[in-house]
Amino acid sequence: MLEHFHVAEDDAVRIMPDALRKTVNELFLKIGFSEQDAWQSTDVLLLSDTRGVDTHGVSNMMRRYIEGVNDGFINPTPKWTITRETPTTANVDCDRGLGIAVIPQVMELAIEKAKDTGIGMITMGNGRHAGMIAYHAMMALPHDMIGYAITAGGQSMPPTFGAEPRLAPNPHAWAVPADKEPPFVLDISSSSVAANKVQLLRRMNSMTIPGMMAESDGTPIMDERPVPEETIVLPNGATRELGSHKGYGLSAIAQVFGGILSDGAFGPYQNGHMSHVVGVYSIEAFTDVKRFKSSMDDFLKYLRETPPAPGHDRVYYAGLPEHEESIDRHERGIPLHHEVVEWFDSATAEFNLAPLER
Amino acid sequence: MLEHFHVPDEDRVMIRRADLFKTTTDIFESMGMSREDAELAADGLVTADIRGCETHGVSNMLRVYLQAFAEGKINPTPDWKITHETSAVATIDADKAHGLVMVPKAMDLAIEKAKKVGIGAVTIHNSNHAGMMAYHAMRAMPHDMIGYAITGGGAVMVPTYGAEPRVGAVPHAWAVPADKMPPFVLDISSSSVAANKIQLLRRTGAPLLPGLMADEEGTPIMEERPVPDGVRLLPWGSTRELGSHKGYGMAVIGQVFSGILSAGLFGVSTPPGNGSQFVAAYSIDAFRDVAEFKSSMDEFLTYLVETPPAPGHDRVYYAGLPEHEETIVRERDGIPLHREVIEWFDSTTDDLKLDLIERMS
Repeated sequence: MLEHFHVAEDDAVRIMPDALRKTVNELFLKIGFSEQDAWQSTDVLLLSDTRGVDTHGVSNMMRRYIEGVNDGFINPTPKWTITRETPTTANVDCDRGLGIAVIPQVMELAIEKAKDTGIGMITMGNGRHAGMIAYHAMMALPHDMIGYAITAGGQSMPPTFGAEPRLAPNPHAWAVPADKEPPFVLDISSSSVAANKVQLLRRMNSMTIPGMMAESDGTPIMDERPVPEETIVLPNGATRELGSHKGYGLSAIAQVFGGILSDGAFGPYQNGHMSHVVGVYSIEAFTDVKRFKSSMDDFLKYLRETPPAPGHDRVYYAGLPEHEESIDRHERGIPLHHEVVEWFDSATAEFNLAPLER
Repeated sequence: MLEHFHVPDEDRVMIRRADLFKTTTDIFESMGMSREDAELAADGLVTADIRGCETHGVSNMLRVYLQAFAEGKINPTPDWKITHETSAVATIDADKAHGLVMVPKAMDLAIEKAKKVGIGAVTIHNSNHAGMMAYHAMRAMPHDMIGYAITGGGAVMVPTYGAEPRVGAVPHAWAVPADKMPPFVLDISSSSVAANKIQLLRRTGAPLLPGLMADEEGTPIMEERPVPDGVRLLPWGSTRELGSHKGYGMAVIGQVFSGILSAGLFGVSTPPGNGSQFVAAYSIDAFRDVAEFKSSMDEFLTYLVETPPAPGHDRVYYAGLPEHEETIVRERDGIPLHREVIEWFDSTTDDLKLDLIERMS
């Protein structure tokens, strides 16, 4: 994440991952999740927070999930079912289950299919929030497979040239194992900025960055100013000249694989209804695994050893900063905004749980 | 394509699709290809031109291909083989085949696999330039499948924050059939601008737009100026703040599926646009009822084109719609080629003792 999205050191309370894991797990149990689902959901949130993907960690998401269950929108005890199946594919009805609980279970099934045939891909309809989708893609890594995940749904982003939001910044994520190098993990929204980064910008009183969002009539904001009350996110690329049709296109293709292919969901479909896809490609089916991983090492090293452009001191690849952040946060704890810690304290008090350990 | 990439009116010579196909096929055949392979390659090239994707049509590509044949880089009679195979996947050593011949054949193999097990995916190495990626993805559509195609190779684009080109502008293409609406066909390079649009800009004398390219040190050029020498391609997104890590990431993942997965190829070891591809076919029927899917696609695409336009715009499109409309126009009016391209055709057909390319009267 860009520096100015980070919680200022003055506002940060450091929480060790195990302490956060304990409290989050207890909260999921309190709202009716099974032990397995609570563990699984907690694991997804914790991976976001340890990798520095704060937008998809506990700070933004935990209160939304609790509200969703209280409103009856999220089913805490989903019985997901397979509606169609072939040796490489399946389609799943998620029974309104939270994505961070259901998708990993479905990913396991995709991995089994890939063991048999070389590929597994499963679409999911009637789902709820997927969390950081890199998590689902990364599940393929220990099996020497390439993982892929999409989540789609809602409408907060206009098409290129459009004045009205008709799709969402649907993200795509891929995870590719290497041997000695940290894995390549790409998790990209199809908008200039993830929808809940705008929320984060407002909370931190940061300025807009030119090309990051549009005015409410769809006109790209190309200057720096305080984040207006009403904005809509732009497809990545910002303007047609700079390739906003690519962000628009990636969003649409995610909606096709997620929504249209699973149960036909798109656009005005029930708000918060999410569709997902997971895919797995077994490396062994295509080539020798050792050879592949050693090539990945060479490739990733070649990329991060690119001489930096003026004003920069390093070149990264996707997944490398998150890997380094994860090492740091396991040592020093996860920096949560004090407002988030206060929320935890009121939530644990309400549920008669021990407060979050600092 | 953006308007300022088009051939100016006064430089246009109009050619019928069938005539362009014939001459292009003749030329490929003269390079030693079988008539069948020559027709396949010509179809891929002419499909780019009929859809208005002239960056990947005859104008830029045919002379590059002829040069590659002359240098022995393309094998006109390849003995390609499958080196790894499962029910759903295969890896192909292309024996230096032309990409426009090898990749459609690999896609046909993926389609056969998808018919049996739901999905087929094929990775290819030791191949050559494969033309417009959309062409290969689109082969899946008549089978009620979603097609996907990637071509990797080259080191023409800087990584985010990098000063030296280390990845290709690796394009990804998807093609999704609908019922009554023209299909959704997305074909996007992972750079701000496709490498051979620069060539087109130089030819038409149009200026460079801010954020399209970096200077030689990797710094994004953020003002309008004529195309300088020694520019670097920037990843889609232009700067980190605007998401250039997304274009960089799409290039890397494309290279993984095509080059690394097939034969461990990347960077300088792979000539630009050369060498490795990945194709996949996803059978709709394996996920959902085909008629229901297509009808949902119609609704989705209609919903998108009916978005009220933002101030200053009169329409909203979706990927594949402008190309579909351009196809209708070009089938009727012919394909506009730059007169300089026609001159090249005339000297080439003369050299090869072939019929002149037929002009529209």
